[in-house]
Amino acid sequence: MLDGLVSLGHAYLALLLSPTSLALGLAGALTGILVGCMPGLSATLCISLLTTLTVKLPANDAILILVCSYVGTLYGGSRSAILLNIPGTAANAASCADGHALALRGEAGRAIGIATSGAFCGTFFGVVCLAAFTPTLAKVALSFGAQEFFWLALFGVTMSGTLVGNDPIKGWLMGAFGLFVAQIGQEGIYAYDRFTFGLPALSGGIALIPALIGAFGFAEVLTRLADPMERKLVEMRDSIRPRFREVAQHWRTVLRSGAIGVLTGLMPGVGEDSGAWMSYAAAKATTKEPELFGKGSIDGLMAAETGDMSSIPGHMIPMLALGVPGSAPSAVLMAAIIIHGIQPGPMMMVEHPQFAYDMVAMTTLATVCILIFGLYLVRPLLYVLRVKHSVLMPIIFVMSVVGSYATAWRLFDVYSMLAVGVGAFFLRRRGYQMAPFVLGLVLGNLLDKSLRRGLVLTDGSMIPFFTRPICTGFALVTIFTMLLYVPAFNRVVHRFADTVINPLKSLVTRRG
Amino acid sequence: MQSSKENPGQDGAPHSAGSLITPRSDFIAAFGWIAFGIVVAIDSWKMDRLQNQDVPPYAVPGLLPFFLGLAIVFFGTLMLARAWRQGALAKGAIQTAGMSMAERKRFLIVLSLCLTFAIVLVGYGLPFWLAAAIFVSATIFVLQYPQRHAANQVVRGIALSILIGLCTGFGVTLLFQELFLVRLP
Repeated sequence: MLDGLVSLGHAYLALLLSPTSLALGLAGALTGILVGCMPGLSATLCISLLTTLTVKLPANDAILILVCSYVGTLYGGSRSAILLNIPGTAANAASCADGHALALRGEAGRAIGIATSGAFCGTFFGVVCLAAFTPTLAKVALSFGAQEFFWLALFGVTMSGTLVGNDPIKGWLMGAFGLFVAQIGQEGIYAYDRFTFGLPALSGGIALIPALIGAFGFAEVLTRLADPMERKLVEMRDSIRPRFREVAQHWRTVLRSGAIGVLTGLMPGVGEDSGAWMSYAAAKATTKEPELFGKGSIDGLMAAETGDMSSIPGHMIPMLALGVPGSAPSAVLMAAIIIHGIQPGPMMMVEHPQFAYDMVAMTTLATVCILIFGLYLVRPLLYVLRVKHSVLMPIIFVMSVVGSYATAWRLFDVYSMLAVGVGAFFLRRRGYQMAPFVLGLVLGNLLDKSLRRGLVLTDGSMIPFFTRPICTGFALVTIFTMLLYVPAFNRVVHRFADTVINPLKSLVTRRG
Repeated sequence: MQSSKENPGQDGAPHSAGSLITPRSDFIAAFGWIAFGIVVAIDSWKMDRLQNQDVPPYAVPGLLPFFLGLAIVFFGTLMLARAWRQGALAKGAIQTAGMSMAERKRFLIVLSLCLTFAIVLVGYGLPFWLAAAIFVSATIFVLQYPQRHAANQVVRGIALSILIGLCTGFGVTLLFQELFLVRLP
């Protein structure tokens, strides 16, 4: 533990004593906030584009910019949620109802102050958990074998399909489709070309960053420009101040939402919006004034923003310790870390032990940046919200083409981006979510190699896949999650919940 | 991204009258998924088993793709059954609204512009800054033309779109190529 504290101290000192690093962190956070403010531009797109921009920088500087932009984007989305009633990113959707209601009754500044203070506290809570849990989880993961990684990858895709969006069947279909797309190209064990149809360009497979830029960038460009509606901005009449007194008044909500955010972040495949919605639901279930939720509840807004932001470090924990990203933005972050020569996973604490603590320091800097920019850059950010889609989206598309090309200098990657983007545009309109597809794409190779290696080790037997202790746990949760969708099984579970769990819940829930 | 929460249907699938997500659209899509899954499974089954390299049958390259194909067929069948139970084939079943004429027109215009830039202009001799400037200027002008025409500001619109296009072309080139040393197409 002492070694960990020393490493953490080194990381903070290295960051604080480097003016260049501080400047890069501020620039990354500001870029993230600007992107997050603009509805339709996601954290995934922001990190993807910045990954190509920073590919020539030293590893720590590049990752610092990406981490700060990740935090900044998710925070910036609360701005448009409050002022436009459109979430800047999907994770800010839970802030829309209460944030915009406060804005409509002339308290936009108060809403932004609460969102900023809650976001600061939530991210800081998550940073503490990141520092505490990452080394421990990595140590546990050293005992993971191929079978455990197989179930971890399958669990991540299944959970993503189940929890993202309204339709688990479509979520699982997208997860399976993403896993399939990851199989295209030369496979990792025998270098055999799969589904390349004789095309040399396909031997390298469909690269992750161009696919993400297509799914979250080009698809969004097409969506925004096909629908010309622009919403009216609520005017800000009151001032923005830090609302730490209100944070102190709602300390239970902050702590609970922070914990929920981190826990949802730990689950691979579950996005930041789940952290926000679960925190919001928990706050509504335990508040004395549930009727205020959706109509300008401070508790609701605080819960949503705290849960949303604390899930960011939460997603980084499995990404660093297990090499399994917790969400689409953390998947891109992981790809960027790999590009810079560091392999996340259990061996990271052996080969690059300092890096996990560097990430803690970077996330702390990002937390401070969102507080500074959030409180003191309010009016300039309003101008960003006024930029028309007809001007912004073509610029985004130009950067998307550059971003797709720059990783491997292949025009084929640009064409992949176009194909994925057009496909994602139509799929999203039919209710298919992109997050399970992204998780499938990221975890496909891990799933494939783990399955085949595991079977080779057990001489073709599937029994160890179900009898090893950690595998049993993952297998039970994965299968249980899918069986919940079977109506008969669902009825049995609900009957059990009504008989056993709900009476227990009413004992611990406090209402006025 | 929208924050709307539609009321879930009987089996949890959201649908509403006049929307793009209806039992009929899911029913048709399910056939597509099932066909795709079958093709993937068959192609995986026919893949080389690498027996000349003494690869055991449980380590062949087509193993996971085969199961993925089956999984897609399975989920597609579930979606088909659910859509049928929700009345996809019933008389008076809710039709998919689809895009409005205006939306479809804008979509096709934007798609054409984007594809022209990414496939025709980029990477085939034109400097990137010029290709970007042409694309951004043309797109802004075309999209803003109805409002500019109505406000009698067409010339102003052309001037502004060219200015924004040139700023974008130079700005992106300066930022990516000169400042961050990233190679452009």
